[in-house]
Amino acid sequence: MATPIIVPPLSQTMDSLVFVTWLKQVGERVEKGEPLYQVETDKAVLDVEAPAAGIVQEASAAPGSEVLVKSTIGLIVSPAEQTSVQPGAAASPRQSRIFASPRARNLAKAENVPLGAVQPSGPQVKLPHVTETQAMIVERDVRAYVELQKQPPAPPEKARPEAAERPASRPAEVRATPLARRVAQATGVDLETVAQARQGTVIRRADVEGALRGEAEPRAPKEAAAAAPPPVVTPTRLAGKGRPVALSALRKTIARRMQASHQITAPVTLMREVDATELVNLRANILNELPADAGAPRPTYTDFLMVILAHTLPRHPHLNALYQDEEFVVYDEVHLALAIETERGLVAPVIHDLLHKPLLDLAAARVQLAERAHAGTLAAEELSGGTFTLTNLGALGIDGFTPLLNPPQVAILGMGRIRPIPAVVADQVSIRQVMTLSLTFDHRLVDGAPAAKFLLDVAQLVEKPYLIWLANFKSVPGER
Amino acid sequence: MPKMSIAEAIRQGIREEMRRDARVFCLGEDIGIQGGFGGAFTVTLGLSEEFGHERILDTPISEAAIAGLAIGSAVCGMRPIADVQYGDFLFEMMDQLANQAAKLRYMSGGTLSVPMVMRAPVGATGRGSQHAQSLEAFFTHVPGLKVVCPATAYDAKGLLKAAVRDDDPVLIFEHKLLYGSKGARSEKGALSPIGEVPDEDYIVPIGVGAVRRTGKDVTIVANLLMLYRSLAAAETLAQKGIEAEVIDPRTLVPLDKNLILDSVRKTGRLLIVEEDNLTNGWVAEVAALMADEGFAWLDAPIKRVAAPDVPPPFAPPLERAYVPDEQRIVDAVLSML
Repeated sequence: MATPIIVPPLSQTMDSLVFVTWLKQVGERVEKGEPLYQVETDKAVLDVEAPAAGIVQEASAAPGSEVLVKSTIGLIVSPAEQTSVQPGAAASPRQSRIFASPRARNLAKAENVPLGAVQPSGPQVKLPHVTETQAMIVERDVRAYVELQKQPPAPPEKARPEAAERPASRPAEVRATPLARRVAQATGVDLETVAQARQGTVIRRADVEGALRGEAEPRAPKEAAAAAPPPVVTPTRLAGKGRPVALSALRKTIARRMQASHQITAPVTLMREVDATELVNLRANILNELPADAGAPRPTYTDFLMVILAHTLPRHPHLNALYQDEEFVVYDEVHLALAIETERGLVAPVIHDLLHKPLLDLAAARVQLAERAHAGTLAAEELSGGTFTLTNLGALGIDGFTPLLNPPQVAILGMGRIRPIPAVVADQVSIRQVMTLSLTFDHRLVDGAPAAKFLLDVAQLVEKPYLIWLANFKSVPGER
Repeated sequence: MPKMSIAEAIRQGIREEMRRDARVFCLGEDIGIQGGFGGAFTVTLGLSEEFGHERILDTPISEAAIAGLAIGSAVCGMRPIADVQYGDFLFEMMDQLANQAAKLRYMSGGTLSVPMVMRAPVGATGRGSQHAQSLEAFFTHVPGLKVVCPATAYDAKGLLKAAVRDDDPVLIFEHKLLYGSKGARSEKGALSPIGEVPDEDYIVPIGVGAVRRTGKDVTIVANLLMLYRSLAAAETLAQKGIEAEVIDPRTLVPLDKNLILDSVRKTGRLLIVEEDNLTNGWVAEVAALMADEGFAWLDAPIKRVAAPDVPPPFAPPLERAYVPDEQRIVDAVLSML
């Protein structure tokens, strides 16, 4: 029995995923449950298992393409049903598939026209499981091709010298001084581009530096410059100005989500400096008590802030909430998304139900998530379901910043570095450890004052962490 | 030549047939009642004055009874012209139509025939789901029934007369916005095409379609109200240099297949438009016919424009969105080029 390969709904917020690669090729055998292909959700690359055992008969999704959730991207058949395909043969790229109307096919056959050579201009058509459409070859396209063939071909003698005159078609021998070569290599300037502009003269250091400054044709003859129309150069195409970098699928996803966040939310950031001296002392004392076992996680300030959020967010449910499709839902449980920077880009895995987790468990959970985030092996459920996000740039020396919201969440807290400052305490100048907290909230759902009250509660527990022992520490009333 | 509305043309057709043949009579709800409208849409207005209440028969409010009486009298040699106030009420008589009228000729080995006419108004006109459906397609699926749908006054009279003379049950579907009913029964937003209708005796043969506009780029097949929306769309398309050929099938069973096939052979493209729900409509049958017998001529996928698969909505804005309009037809054609 043939089993379609259907893209599973790996994320409740995404209806399409980026297809990364096939782990089995057409013609290969696969067992049920064996990893079959990889997709990238908004936060991680995930292996998807084969829905059945058999031979991969079709594998139509192209690496890097977007695939719709619940769409069919291939077929697994039993060995008996397998039609003849070469093992290892790559899935035929979509572009090579020719769509032609029956009328066009008949005409092409009658006129001996190879359909692959015909430029299609007909209705847009598409295969069921891909999003891109493609124009169909219709009768007029075949007729246009036939007409074109009837015209006498241009004499080749005329065409050839024209081609030879074009400097671009001739691989130029680059002549440059050793210093110019070194500067070019160090700055990434393309010597060939400079050579074309210099029209065969020896390239010197000044030419490379000129190209670096964006002077594409530093010493072009005046007559030529006057005669030729002004070249259309976009900044990115200036020699030496930069190199295009292929964006990873995750980077594109981050770009899309960040832009969406910026466009759809009304973010306001409140910053507050808090005295973290007590917290620093508390952490030092706790670390002292921990066995010097290398394997045990050592709680960081992020872990302490998680505990503080577990005690403060339930008092401010409007900040521990999701806003989606004009529906505003507040949560009693705190599911905290942690922003983690990896080599591949930013991810925000979620620690679920913060309320009942002790400090060391949270530390252990954070370490585990971070490891898997760096390895790119986070599961989909670990990347979804957050109700609030915590991000920490303190380790990189940042004090205050303006975090972007992580929709559909409505608030995100940023931690800055902890630094000593001279402060007046009880009429004495003493050294205090301070930290800046940056709270971004969505002003569509939350107003400034309730957000400030929440930040005040957080600040209070940073300044007096022992208040956590009081079941009802006196706080500013939250937004209820 | 006199000009008249579709309601007037049908009335004239009925009058001529009743004068010609004493076996012809009408039956329905409130079709001849004194001071009434002459049926729901004025078609039989005034006929009882000429023919009396025995031949313009007012029935109780029971569609099953109307069908039973029509079928029974037809089997016994009469030529009944029955009607329902709204086509939606045909469901009340479904067993009579589908199990009795349609099958008696076959089940009796040709001994019996049911020369009856059933007239039914269709189309969404602000009356809600149960007074708005276009049910032609339902009955095209019942072997033994003929299905016609006149869209002009000339055809309305000619097809009515052909139906009366046909020896098998014929369902005539008439569109509320095309009747041209007057007075209290005039319809908001009605098109009410007025056409020339000869006074003499003529018929429009059942099973023959008509080309309403000639063109070379695309064939549009549409019936009843959709015919007029398609003609309007063809006019808009003509301004863009696209020549649409518009075909009025006039009869859905039996269908004038060759007229459609010949047209698509010329144009290479087929769009079919109906007011009924999309799934399994008669448009699907025409599309299948084309794929089956004319595939080699197609230069674009066959397209259908129809109402979505929901009951006709009551809210006017929703009803406007439901019934296919000129723009949808234009867009569909543009997507095929």
